[in-house]
Amino acid sequence: MNPNAEKTPRLSLHQSSRFSKYKKTLALLTMVAPVTIWLILRSYLPMAGMVLAFKNYKVYPKDPTFWNNLIHSKWVGFKNFEFLFKTDAAMLAVRNTVLYNIVFIILGVIIPVALAIMMNELTKKLAAKTYQTLMFFPYFLSWVVVSYFLNAFIDAQYGMLPAMQKAAGEIPYSWYTSTKPWPYIIVFANLWKNTGYTVMLYLAAITGIDTTQYEASAIDGATKWQQIWNITIPNLRTMIAILFILNVGKIFNSDFGLFYNVPMQNGATFPVTQVIDTYIYRSFMTTHDVGMNTAAGLLQNVLGFICIITANSVVKKIDEDSSMF
Amino acid sequence: MKKFFALLLALTMVLSLAACGSKPAEPTAAPTEAPAVDAPATEAPATEAPAPAELEPVTLKMWFHGSTVTPEASAKVMETLNPILQEKLNVTLEPIWGTWGDFDTSVTTALAGGDDVDIYFTCNWSGNEYNSYARDGYYVKLDDLLDTCAPELKAAIPEGIWDCAKTNGAEGMGIYAVPGLKDTATQNCWDVNGTLLAECGYNVDEVCAAGLDYFSAEFEEMLAAAKAKKGNDFYPLLIEPAVLERMVTHSAIVTGDLSGANVLSYYYDAEHPATDLGNAIVNKYGTDEFAAFAAKTYEYAQKGYISPSCQNPNTANDYRTACQSSGEYLFGTQSYAFGCELDFSNARGIDVRMVPETAAYMDCTSGQGAMMAISATSKNPERALMFLNLLNTDSEIMTLVNYGVEGYTYNKNDDGTITFVDEVRATYSPWTNGVGNVRILPPTAQQGTDFWTRFADYYNAAETLPYGGFVFDNSVCATESAAIANVYAEYAFNLMSGAVNPDEVLPEFLEKLNEAGMETLVNAANEQMTAYLAG
Amino acid sequence: MAKKNHRLNSISAGTEAVFHIIIALFALCCIIPFIFVIIISFTDEASLREIGYSFVPQAWSTYTYQFAFDKLPQIWRSFFNSIVITVVGTVLSTFMCALYSYALYRPDFRFRNFFNYLSFFTMIFPGALIPTYIISKQVLGLSENYAALIVPLLVSPFNIIVMRTFFKSSCPMELIEAATIDGAGEYSILFRIVAPIAKPGIATIALLNSLAYWNDWFQSMLYIRQNKILQPLQALLMELQNNVEYLNRMAGQMGTAAVMESMKAPTQSLRMALVVMIVLPIACAYPFFQRYIVAGLAVGSVKG
Repeated sequence: MNPNAEKTPRLSLHQSSRFSKYKKTLALLTMVAPVTIWLILRSYLPMAGMVLAFKNYKVYPKDPTFWNNLIHSKWVGFKNFEFLFKTDAAMLAVRNTVLYNIVFIILGVIIPVALAIMMNELTKKLAAKTYQTLMFFPYFLSWVVVSYFLNAFIDAQYGMLPAMQKAAGEIPYSWYTSTKPWPYIIVFANLWKNTGYTVMLYLAAITGIDTTQYEASAIDGATKWQQIWNITIPNLRTMIAILFILNVGKIFNSDFGLFYNVPMQNGATFPVTQVIDTYIYRSFMTTHDVGMNTAAGLLQNVLGFICIITANSVVKKIDEDSSMF
Repeated sequence: MKKFFALLLALTMVLSLAACGSKPAEPTAAPTEAPAVDAPATEAPATEAPAPAELEPVTLKMWFHGSTVTPEASAKVMETLNPILQEKLNVTLEPIWGTWGDFDTSVTTALAGGDDVDIYFTCNWSGNEYNSYARDGYYVKLDDLLDTCAPELKAAIPEGIWDCAKTNGAEGMGIYAVPGLKDTATQNCWDVNGTLLAECGYNVDEVCAAGLDYFSAEFEEMLAAAKAKKGNDFYPLLIEPAVLERMVTHSAIVTGDLSGANVLSYYYDAEHPATDLGNAIVNKYGTDEFAAFAAKTYEYAQKGYISPSCQNPNTANDYRTACQSSGEYLFGTQSYAFGCELDFSNARGIDVRMVPETAAYMDCTSGQGAMMAISATSKNPERALMFLNLLNTDSEIMTLVNYGVEGYTYNKNDDGTITFVDEVRATYSPWTNGVGNVRILPPTAQQGTDFWTRFADYYNAAETLPYGGFVFDNSVCATESAAIANVYAEYAFNLMSGAVNPDEVLPEFLEKLNEAGMETLVNAANEQMTAYLAG
Repeated sequence: MAKKNHRLNSISAGTEAVFHIIIALFALCCIIPFIFVIIISFTDEASLREIGYSFVPQAWSTYTYQFAFDKLPQIWRSFFNSIVITVVGTVLSTFMCALYSYALYRPDFRFRNFFNYLSFFTMIFPGALIPTYIISKQVLGLSENYAALIVPLLVSPFNIIVMRTFFKSSCPMELIEAATIDGAGEYSILFRIVAPIAKPGIATIALLNSLAYWNDWFQSMLYIRQNKILQPLQALLMELQNNVEYLNRMAGQMGTAAVMESMKAPTQSLRMALVVMIVLPIACAYPFFQRYIVAGLAVGSVKG
């Protein structure tokens, strides 16, 4: 800053604005500092561990710290990735993951946005608040608990639905050994669990909309439907786009607990409930091979990254402001 | 975007350099303690252990498995234990009371990350930890150290069990963990509800003496009788599918098979397990024995003898436990442990009989059932082993660690047996078999004064399987294993529990197994076995 | 005038009734499982054995709660831990997130893009478990202390992106420019101008953070091993749950140990009672955040 002051003593106005620019940047830098330090220590440094995906991890006997082990382990190229391409079962898991995620992404936009708008239109605030609180309960329950709940309805021995069938003299339907109902159950369970959360994000975004926009349009004689269409939804655009991009980035990941616990691990449901994460988990529990586990995770991340960049550029083409970067 | 990645790359490189650079800082701490490690070894090359006063004070972290121990109870026991340990070895014990559920994640993370834990519980059944981690160099090889630091321990454990503890580790064939002297043999038994059987009009003693045959008409007759007596909602056959399969087909777990997912079978002679039948290791699901078993089980399930709850992998254990504790079953399956019928009878309030299906046998699966390994990261491996030596040979120490403090968790009776203070014992219950040599514990009043002698006699009489201490190293086909594990999870449980029709499902299962590389796995296992038996 | 406006700008009574029904049905779906959990927690164990899980048990019992409060002293400590961790963690993480997102929201911030990518990238490539564990433990000293339960969850790239979006959609840049001309510093702009406007957004993030802290058990499993007094409530529940799961998985391998240990395992109703004890407090805290989130709710229709 000093050299500047010497160089252009005459342009004092410009100088002060430049000075304030530095000051501003400095202030903003202090703001990002805490998170940056955290990210470096807990995200970027550990990223070095990703080379595990290409190594046969063994303990380095002379000085067995993690980093030494990592450095001295043998490179094995892409061998750790092989198990993901070995069988049709793995490919089936990939297919299931992607298909489910596509459904989740589409429904995960439509339903919460619709609910959020509907809730926003309710004139009874107390009712809206109550609904919103209730919608959040699924978020508190772990998938294990949910699986017990579902089990209460469909358990072959104690379940309410089979019991009703038995009472009616029919042969009870065997839920856990059939594939048919599971896609519906999974999709519903996923919506059930996440909608409250997403609705809250959208509601908060609606709440943040500048009310003068509504006032102005009301004076112009716009109906409520027109207001929703012309003001509310366009204002939600950014949030929808961001959540869409983020979800596309997770298209090769899945909610492990949902797919692992809710069908009670019953093998007969695998054709429709086996996803990449459960496949990896079952493999890992057998081999305990950190290399293979890291490899699978890395592959998921790289694919996710490609998807997210693609989604972002698509969004950017449609609406520049809503893209993430 | 490009700029960002360039920066990012630079940043990561700088950081990882910084990380590597910072590492040497840690070993600087080590050298100061390093002499302490070497010192006892050089000072005492002979077998006699150095006097405790000469030993530097050392703290040992020891990771237990399956514990139910509250912080207070632990503190209380350590208060009594540690002064004694300091006097004997100048060691302070810092226990990590691992629970059943945190074992998979916590222990693997700690091991892979090189945590500062000295002694880890290990075994071959949870995830084949012992053999695979020994192979990757996580545990200290003990063969030489045992002679210098733990001669009493070496003598206390029978040679056959040491043989089973040998595995092909990072530094060659050898012992990488101290096996616990517990129930060291396997015997599959029918768990018979004698009370109910008598109610159905059978002579329990006669039936039990004659033995049970899963495929016989008499067996089914008894199931039908019990079902008729107790009603349609009663399911007489309470099974653990994997155990049922092994006991009915007389097959042993091949140690090193895919952890929980057993896909290999080794058939043995049910009466004299040591007899060499010349058997090879086979694909468990591809044999006639398995087909017959699966067909029968499906038939029993169809007839309503097996509960649907036993066929649901997630609820099966809860259901089984509930039925067992209320005595709601006729026949169960049980991998036997000496004296368990007594415990079961007491807990369930019925007359529990154990009817052997096979004779007791010894192999690595039982020999490596509960072990204590010294971590490669331990700064004091010798002292750790000296401690294990003491723990496994000194009744006082073992009792303290395992049962707690006299007058607190238990009381002594006049005849030398003990009685637990149940309420306190509930807050201090390490997994008894997981701690080490249980045979030097005082017997409980229920067990009776000569319990451990009878216990030892029973296990020492067990025959060793023909392939002895063979351990299969499945890391040679890790890719296949990973794929097979998923196929296994899809089909095996349902077939073994009779939930699906084997006529339809078994061929499909076998085809998928082959596709996943089952043949490679079986061949590798047999090659290794042949090599093992030859060498 | 006001009346006319109101009619013009709100949906018809019929439509609103339909909305009520749709939303209420969904809300009902959301709460029923929790009611079910409460019922199981009050169900007599014998009834569970006899008829399984049911909305109408054969017999009721408060035994599990008595047992939990009398026999598990850890429950009270865990309660306390959960509260401490959640309160401290929520405040810190929300504060850090607001600072970072604010800088990213400023289009005139020179390194905006760099820091944007810096956080975004970690969302897609999170550090691997083992190296993270080692660095946390050895470099940051996160072991057997409260910090180990707070620090790992301090930053969430997702929250940063969402918070930035909230800032973007609720605070027009003109406000910032005006304030800058008035000579306000960055911190005072953030806390005096942006934060009050973006209150619903900040409250949302705070809620998400508090839920993350309250629900977390994984950090405890990794970093709290010896000093189990520090275990939060959710970790206590997960420990019991994991034990049950493990014994279930290992039953075929463990022989009699599995049988004996399973008998010791906590009952179904105890596990459900713990779920109730975990969910209720945080559900009660919810309206506190909701005050800010829903503060402007229905603004469009009533005020419009």
